[in-house]
Amino acid sequence: MRMFVAVALFACAPAQACPGLQVEDAWIREAPPGAMMTAAYARLRNAGSRLLSIDGALGPDFAAAELHRTVVENGISRMVHGEPLQLEPGATSALAPGGWHLMLIRPARALKAGDRVSLALKCGREASEFIFVVKAPSE
Amino acid sequence: MKQPQVVGAVLAAGLALAAGIWAASYWYAPKAVTLQSGVLLGAPRAIAEFTLADQDGQAFSNDRLRGRWSLVFAGFTHCPDVCPTTLALMKVLTQRLGASAPAMIFLSVDPERDTPPVMQSYVRYFGPAITGVSGEREMLDRFCASLGIAYVKVPGASEADYTIDHSAALVLIDPQGRVAGYFPPPLKVDTLAADLSRIAGPST
Repeated sequence: MRMFVAVALFACAPAQACPGLQVEDAWIREAPPGAMMTAAYARLRNAGSRLLSIDGALGPDFAAAELHRTVVENGISRMVHGEPLQLEPGATSALAPGGWHLMLIRPARALKAGDRVSLALKCGREASEFIFVVKAPSE
Repeated sequence: MKQPQVVGAVLAAGLALAAGIWAASYWYAPKAVTLQSGVLLGAPRAIAEFTLADQDGQAFSNDRLRGRWSLVFAGFTHCPDVCPTTLALMKVLTQRLGASAPAMIFLSVDPERDTPPVMQSYVRYFGPAITGVSGEREMLDRFCASLGIAYVKVPGASEADYTIDHSAALVLIDPQGRVAGYFPPPLKVDTLAADLSRIAGPST
C-alpha cells in the first residue's frame, strides 16, 4: 500500500521543467482573511528554443491553481479560462492585475505579506517551480 | 433734441441689460465639468426604493446614499483579480482625497456566498472607509437595475465554484442619492482622484 502511494505520487509529479521558462517579480496578492480566492502574477520569459504553452499551475498551498484571463467587454468584466498562454522563443509576457493571472483557489493557510510560496507553472506535461512572494499592493 | 436723447437712453439701458445678462450667464453658469476618466449624466437618474444590508447586518437603503457623494463597485468576494484590485484602488482614493472622498461601497452580486460575516472580514481588510452591501436577490436586482449594473452567474467546475461576470465600472451617486455618472475601466487612481476632487471636492 505504502509502495503504491509512493508510486502514485511519483507518477503525478512532472518529470521535467518547462525548457527555458524564466520568471521575474513573481507575487501573490495577499487576500482578506477568510477569502477563498486570490491570484498570482509574474513576468514570464521564454529563454528556450521552443514554443511554451503555459496552461496552469500546481502548488501545495492551494486546492487548485488555474490560468485565467480577465477581459472587459462592453463594460462587463469576465474570466476566460481553458486558454493557454503561448510564449514563443525569446518572447515575454506578463501575468498582471486586470489580465492574465493564476487564480489560486482555497488557500490551505492564511498567506501574509512577505510569505514565500512555491508554485509550479505547468506547460503541458512539464512544470517549473518558482517562488512567489505574498504582497499587499497599495493599489 | 429730446427724442435722440430718449433713444440714446433706451439704447444704453438695452445695452446695459444685454451686457448684464451676458455677464450673468458668463459668471453664474455652472461650469461644465469635463472628466478625464468618466462620464456625467446630463440629468441625474433617480434610484428606485431599495433595502439591502451592510456588512454589520444594518439596513442599507436610499437614505444611506444621501448627504454625500458615493462610488459603488459591484463584485463578489470569490473574485480573485478585478475585485481586490478595485477595492485596493478605492482604499488609495479615499486616502488621497481625505475629507472630500466619496463614500465607497462594495456591492456584492453574490449574496448566497457573501453573507454579512463574510463581507465584514472582506471589506474591513480594505480599511474602514468601504461599506460592504448585499441582500435579497429581488432587492439586489432592483438596485442593480437602477444603477445600470449587469451581472450573470457562470457555472464552474462544481456547483460551489461558480463565478460571476459583472460590470466593472464605478457608479457615481450624487448627494441627492441619484446616479450621476460612471467611471468605466481601466480605472486609474490619478485621473479618478483628479476627477472626483473636481466633482465632489469642496465647493469654492
